[in-house]
Amino acid sequence: MIYAIGIFAVLFLLSIGLYNSLVRRKNDVENAFSSVDVMLKKRYDLIPNLVETVKSYMKHEKSLLTELTALRAQAVSGEISDDERVALENKISKGISGIMVAVENYPDLKASQNFLQLQGAWNEAEEQISASRRAFNAAVTTFNNKVETFPSNIMAGMMGYKRRTLFEIPEVERQNVNAKNLFES
Amino acid sequence: MSSYTNFKEFYDAKLLPELKVLDKERKQVDRRVLLIGLIAVILIVIIGRFRGSATSYFQILIGVLAFVIMSVSSKKYRLNFKNKIVLKIAAFVDENLVYSPKGFVSREEFTNSAIFQKFCNNFTGEDHFKGKIGKTVIEFSEVVGKHKTTSGTGSKQKEHYTTIFKGVFFVADFNKNFIGHTLVLPDTAEKMLGKLGQNLQAFSSRGELIKLEDPEFEKEFCVYADDQVEARYILSPSLMQRIVEFKRKWNTKVYLSFRDSKVYIAIKMDKNLFETRLFKSIVDYNFIEENIRFLILLTGIVDDLNLNTRIWTKE
Repeated sequence: MIYAIGIFAVLFLLSIGLYNSLVRRKNDVENAFSSVDVMLKKRYDLIPNLVETVKSYMKHEKSLLTELTALRAQAVSGEISDDERVALENKISKGISGIMVAVENYPDLKASQNFLQLQGAWNEAEEQISASRRAFNAAVTTFNNKVETFPSNIMAGMMGYKRRTLFEIPEVERQNVNAKNLFES
Repeated sequence: MSSYTNFKEFYDAKLLPELKVLDKERKQVDRRVLLIGLIAVILIVIIGRFRGSATSYFQILIGVLAFVIMSVSSKKYRLNFKNKIVLKIAAFVDENLVYSPKGFVSREEFTNSAIFQKFCNNFTGEDHFKGKIGKTVIEFSEVVGKHKTTSGTGSKQKEHYTTIFKGVFFVADFNKNFIGHTLVLPDTAEKMLGKLGQNLQAFSSRGELIKLEDPEFEKEFCVYADDQVEARYILSPSLMQRIVEFKRKWNTKVYLSFRDSKVYIAIKMDKNLFETRLFKSIVDYNFIEENIRFLILLTGIVDDLNLNTRIWTKE
């Protein structure tokens, strides 16, 4: 009888430990996801400034600027699904890269203090976004390991936790901005 | 920044005449040191002939005294080497580099890096270099930090000093702004114990353990920080690669700390850099070249870690 109680107690404690660690890992993932969100929002804040600064210089890229403003409005409205959001983010990245490349045709703009500051802020935002994505991926990897390895997988099954997917780095960002691209356009 | 390529010309034109003069001084110092040594040995032998309990104390006293006189009499020569030769080498490597033979990185910087947890009771150093390489302000010097422990009580109390760190301590302005603290330490636990070691690292008081995605980097280092995202903002994939290459280049223990928008690097080293020698000619290209090689390696940290790239908001 004593042994049975003992074994039961050990199992009980073990499952509490597993339960708590799984919940903690899940919260880590959520926390990491929200930090990606924060960094993305920082980038949205840059867009009106960027558009305002380059508008008076750029003559041929008017449509690009209008599109970017529209995309931002859509992203900020918040009434979109996660998948749409990802697609939108990719478009925004692409749009901003497009502007940064087009700037090469406007030496006055490129040299202006305002623009240089914005460019720095944009680079920083991109670097922060990539850092927060990597942090998210690290949290998800730890979570997935817990969900799939023994014995925590039993507990995870009971709690209904499933594998989460990693953030994929979108194609546009994977191609690093290289000098050649900049001078071709 | 200059490199080795034209160092030979510089050596022939600027250093060689100075070295020849200094080498004459070296010969004088050698003679003096030999004479002192000889006198000390003779005295020790003579005292050894007397019988008595105090003789061995006298012998030790003479030995110590001779050593002190030897180092005092060669001090000027050693300082001359630094002021005449190392100073010129520093100016050759980068004209903005200011060299002070007796200076060293301040204890405040060393403590602020928080690389070493033990309290530093005794902090000394020499061969301090400071300057702006491109856009990056750097300083470095040799330092020795010691920690004091006491044992026993009352009159039997004894003090022991253990070395916390000996080597080169390097401080540079980092190219990104950040607010927290990120530590990159040599990975001893994981290397010895593998997965178990990695689990043990999580229980450190250093901060949150950061698991990074670069396996080469993870093998060499373990990272603690107070912010997961900021640590990754600082340690971008390219910087991780650069740090691994940097570590392999030096092939010794390397510690990095990122704090107050600065990067602190501690490179463990037993060798005493930028010193002259006795009893062997210093009119020797290889001997001088070794000094410049170290200096170029050290100032090259700016390029190794890409610190001059200022594409973020920090100017």
